[in-house]
Amino acid sequence: MSFADSLMAGLSLVGNPSAFFALFCGIVIGVIGGAIPGLSATMAVALTLPFTFAMQPINGILLLLGVYKGGIFGGSIPAILIKTPGTPASSATILDGYPMAERGEAGRALGMALWASCTADLVSNLSLILFAGWLASFALNFGPPEFFALILFSLTIIAGVSGDSLLRGALSALLGLLLATVGLDLVYGTNRFTFGDPNMMGGLNFIAVLIGLFAIPEIIAMARHPTAHLGTARSLGHARATLADYLKSLKSIIRGSLIGVFLGSIPGIGAAPSAFLSYSEARRTSKNKANFGKGEIEGVAASEAGNNGVAGATLIPLLALGVPGDVITAIIIGAFMIHGLQPGPMMFILNVDIIYGLFIGLIVSSVFLFLVGTVAIHGFKFVADVPRRILMPAVLVLCVFGVFAVNNNIFDVGVMFAMGWVGYAMMRLHIPAAPFLIAFILGPLLEDNFRQSMLMSGSDPSILFRGPITWFFWTLTAITVFAIARSTARATRIARGMGG
Amino acid sequence: MSIKALHVRLGLGAILFSALLFFIAIPNWVSSPSNVRNIVLAPTFWPNILAGLMAVTGLGLILTSRQAHAIGETEDEPDGAWLRLLGVAVIMALTMYALSRLGMVWTSMLAFAATAFLFRTRYPVTALVCAVVVPLLLYAFFAHVAGVAVPQGNFVRLP
Repeated sequence: MSFADSLMAGLSLVGNPSAFFALFCGIVIGVIGGAIPGLSATMAVALTLPFTFAMQPINGILLLLGVYKGGIFGGSIPAILIKTPGTPASSATILDGYPMAERGEAGRALGMALWASCTADLVSNLSLILFAGWLASFALNFGPPEFFALILFSLTIIAGVSGDSLLRGALSALLGLLLATVGLDLVYGTNRFTFGDPNMMGGLNFIAVLIGLFAIPEIIAMARHPTAHLGTARSLGHARATLADYLKSLKSIIRGSLIGVFLGSIPGIGAAPSAFLSYSEARRTSKNKANFGKGEIEGVAASEAGNNGVAGATLIPLLALGVPGDVITAIIIGAFMIHGLQPGPMMFILNVDIIYGLFIGLIVSSVFLFLVGTVAIHGFKFVADVPRRILMPAVLVLCVFGVFAVNNNIFDVGVMFAMGWVGYAMMRLHIPAAPFLIAFILGPLLEDNFRQSMLMSGSDPSILFRGPITWFFWTLTAITVFAIARSTARATRIARGMGG
Repeated sequence: MSIKALHVRLGLGAILFSALLFFIAIPNWVSSPSNVRNIVLAPTFWPNILAGLMAVTGLGLILTSRQAHAIGETEDEPDGAWLRLLGVAVIMALTMYALSRLGMVWTSMLAFAATAFLFRTRYPVTALVCAVVVPLLLYAFFAHVAGVAVPQGNFVRLP
């Protein structure tokens, strides 16, 4: 199928009001979800997922992508106004956004955050369109050994970057891998940790595990400390971001977008490191270096470009390889599976209309984000006023309905509650939840590809190193492990130096 | 709890859990056919590898506990925190018990109200209104739009 044919097929799928309405609603939900501190973009995507069951696959996925993109921008609003990032990705925005708000320039900071976010979002979407197809055609050559090496590489990165301790991240990933072994063995059909319960023979429900890990711990944490969220919002002020501000920061925005695209396309890095790297690069090269951290508008632009540049790029490994780029895309992979779609290179052949429909939707999403974001900046006061002690019980009820709806099974609700307590314990013990979830998704793929490779080779492990692709991923894995170990050792030395 | 103590406890927990997997959980709850030709294809192979890696990680956590860097400020336990946590656990357990008996909508209404009051909401009337409206709206969507067979319970059935 030619590019024009694929584009037309995609257009025929999304060229109707319901697809764009779903995308628009997603962005609205995402901006609101991201703007409520403690709710986060991840939770917003997880809670929206059950509502997509009754929708057409393309509409459901566009809705979730809208929530994702809206959520990443929405997180910057409380970061600037109340010094509380709505999502971890917005942490860097606080550095200059909040000092601007203290000076009465919150409206200007938010305006620049929106412009930078939309620009970066567009750059990121374009790179997705450019690279995903190319990567997918390359990945068509992959067999089980190549996929095993790729997934192992993804796991290495995820365990290493999702917290301040490599070992705590690894522990989390191991727990996720272990939980993924529950159910019937795929080769022999025997029971593994099912305890004789037929409900567990198909494995634990992915939606129940993810909502349990990401939404329920927030509710439990609120029970522990019901007033922890209270804060004061700054007013917007009269100053607004101007075209001159935008042009002055354009270099940092483009640089931040490209950093976001690069880091976002590597599974597991996520938006927060990208935002901080973009911010530090902008500070390093800026003429106003001294103003950074004191309310420099270029700092806001750079961090927002860094975190939004990731949003489209994380879909590159998702669509091309079937490997989630971060936690949110891990949830979105679940949406694909629920609708009977398997992201990966074959999707570019079997479901090319959906792929191009998503590309078109994503390009439009940047425009919607700008429109919704403009309104959201002024409407934040109302969002900030939603009493969280009423919101959280509503989230609880939503979780119960949503998780039940997946399989019409009350057992899944029990799994969600149990996972909620596991997630809360992990939160209290500073064990990151992200590696757990991603390992839970990648675990069965890793094991299946390993066992398929062994079956293919008559249990000869040398098949795992059979060609240049496997060697490429093994080398990347080795380099990553070395880099993580080195940075951990360096951080330890610095910490020791500061302590003594 | 200091970061060193946290790492030591996590490490010990991981090693204990790994031992539990090796000696109790895998032998008893992972069935492996007797005719498996190669160990790497056995259903027990992967869980054993994970248990082994968990023990190694636990050991790593203990050995590196001295070098671990701080995680930020430690937070004081708020008054009545444990009681409220117990309250949430009870609400969740009762929700599971009541879902098939009272039905999802009525159970959710009670769970909503109980949770809002447990959180000491400053808007009790709004909380009660939301406790009724939110589950009804969700029921309307999931039952009539998504076509989900929402449990109705043994007492009052909704259209």
